[in-house]
Amino acid sequence: MEITKKDKFWMNFKLFQLWRFIVLNIKILKAVDHSKRS
Amino acid sequence: MAKIVVIGAGFAGHTAALYLGDKLGKKHTVTMINRHDSFAYIPSWIWVGVGHMKPEKTTFKLAPVYKRMNVYFIHGVATKVYPDEGQQFVEVAKENGDSTRVEYDYLLVATGPKLNFAGTPGLGPDQGENTYSVCSLPHVLQTRDKYLEYVERMKKGEKVKMVIGTGHPGATCQGAAFEFIVNIHKDLVKKGVRDKAELMWLSNEAALGDFGVRGIRAKFQGKLTSSEEFISAVFKDHDIKWQVQTGVKKVDTDKIYWENYEGETGETEYDFAMLIPQFLGQPIQYIGKDGQDVSEKVVNKPGFVLVDGIYGLPYDVLERNPDAWPSQYQNPNYRNIFAAGIAFAPPGPISRPHTTPNGTSITAAPPRTGMVSGIIGRIVALNIIDLVKQGRMTHSERMTEMVAACIASMGDSLWDGNAAVMVIHPVVPDMKRYPNEDGRDLFTTHMEMGLGGAWMKRMLHDTFIWKLRGLPGWKIIPE
Repeated sequence: MEITKKDKFWMNFKLFQLWRFIVLNIKILKAVDHSKRS
Repeated sequence: MAKIVVIGAGFAGHTAALYLGDKLGKKHTVTMINRHDSFAYIPSWIWVGVGHMKPEKTTFKLAPVYKRMNVYFIHGVATKVYPDEGQQFVEVAKENGDSTRVEYDYLLVATGPKLNFAGTPGLGPDQGENTYSVCSLPHVLQTRDKYLEYVERMKKGEKVKMVIGTGHPGATCQGAAFEFIVNIHKDLVKKGVRDKAELMWLSNEAALGDFGVRGIRAKFQGKLTSSEEFISAVFKDHDIKWQVQTGVKKVDTDKIYWENYEGETGETEYDFAMLIPQFLGQPIQYIGKDGQDVSEKVVNKPGFVLVDGIYGLPYDVLERNPDAWPSQYQNPNYRNIFAAGIAFAPPGPISRPHTTPNGTSITAAPPRTGMVSGIIGRIVALNIIDLVKQGRMTHSERMTEMVAACIASMGDSLWDGNAAVMVIHPVVPDMKRYPNEDGRDLFTTHMEMGLGGAWMKRMLHDTFIWKLRGLPGWKIIPE
């Protein structure tokens, strides 16, 4: 595996990263919700 | 009226104190004993260490928070605990030189680690300032000053070799060291001196990206990828050399002496090094009613509090027994003593242990990050609340059930920063519940990197400090 120029572009492409930011927040909140029920 | 005492205001203890104060503080007595008068948000120290964040942005005073949350605060160090019935109290050496006794019905030990620099001769800022650390605020400030001094030397054309990683064969907290080395890379690139620095990762991990949790595998760009592949791609891209399966045995002014998995010994030259020391439990004496030392009923040899885990299992058995991990963090001999965060004794390592032909154990100890510590602190607090109100505990969560989200900063800029986001479920693999090679839920377990991660890391800094200050809505922000 290596980090290509294309990867770097997407890693810093603001609109795409805004989408990932939202998705990751939902993913983490869903995951911690599991923990909160313990 | 119940008396609850918490020792240590780190992620675990402070989280517990907030819940306890909120639910019991008005009718019962909740006391926090802490050696510092401020809370320290450790995850952001990595930015302090490269001079990108002021230290005061990572701390806040505890007394006003506890006053609001109905928690009595003692600024001091717990030195002795008398756990036998009839005389249960903690002896505290207060900051002003006085000593006091604090009685308890329930005790939560959440002291965090003792940084055992002495476990590696020559390691750390207090043994000749050979190497540096990011494990306490004074250490981070020393590290920052030394690092910036080297940056100035690089600007004048000097070549510098920087070694970052672990400074003991049994060290943990590789994640913090990883963040530090990639933040240094990013900082040196921005300052235009990256070509003057040779960066090297030196660690006791079984493989790159192990992080003491046996590594993770998750879908990355549609392909099942291991954290070893992921982190080695980052290191190749950043031109960071690495050496894993290595236990540091000794350090002097310009060399790090080590032994590897094969039992070979060698040395690595360095100019600047940040190596994480071994963690031990804080030295608290446990004294019985006749004055005898009863520590062996409370703590194991390294000083971590024994709880409801199954201890002494060989790794191959432990690996297949998720129920060996504690669920309520309660001491089996003194049922009103609990432990949370780094203070509790895990039943064994998460990563496969290794002993070299010379008998040296090179094994990454289990990490207990802020999230894991916070969750355990909450569980213990809710159980103590249960015990006070209804006489039985209703909460439990093992690390073999727990989710952890780790966001490793790889540059703090909100414009062109980066961070690796790893969601791990469960933290400790459960081969029974997830009968795959990893023992993890491959749907929830996730790994990616990008600017969005850097935004998340910054967002967490602000939201967690808000939560930990007990400001409105603190309870809805998860640990």
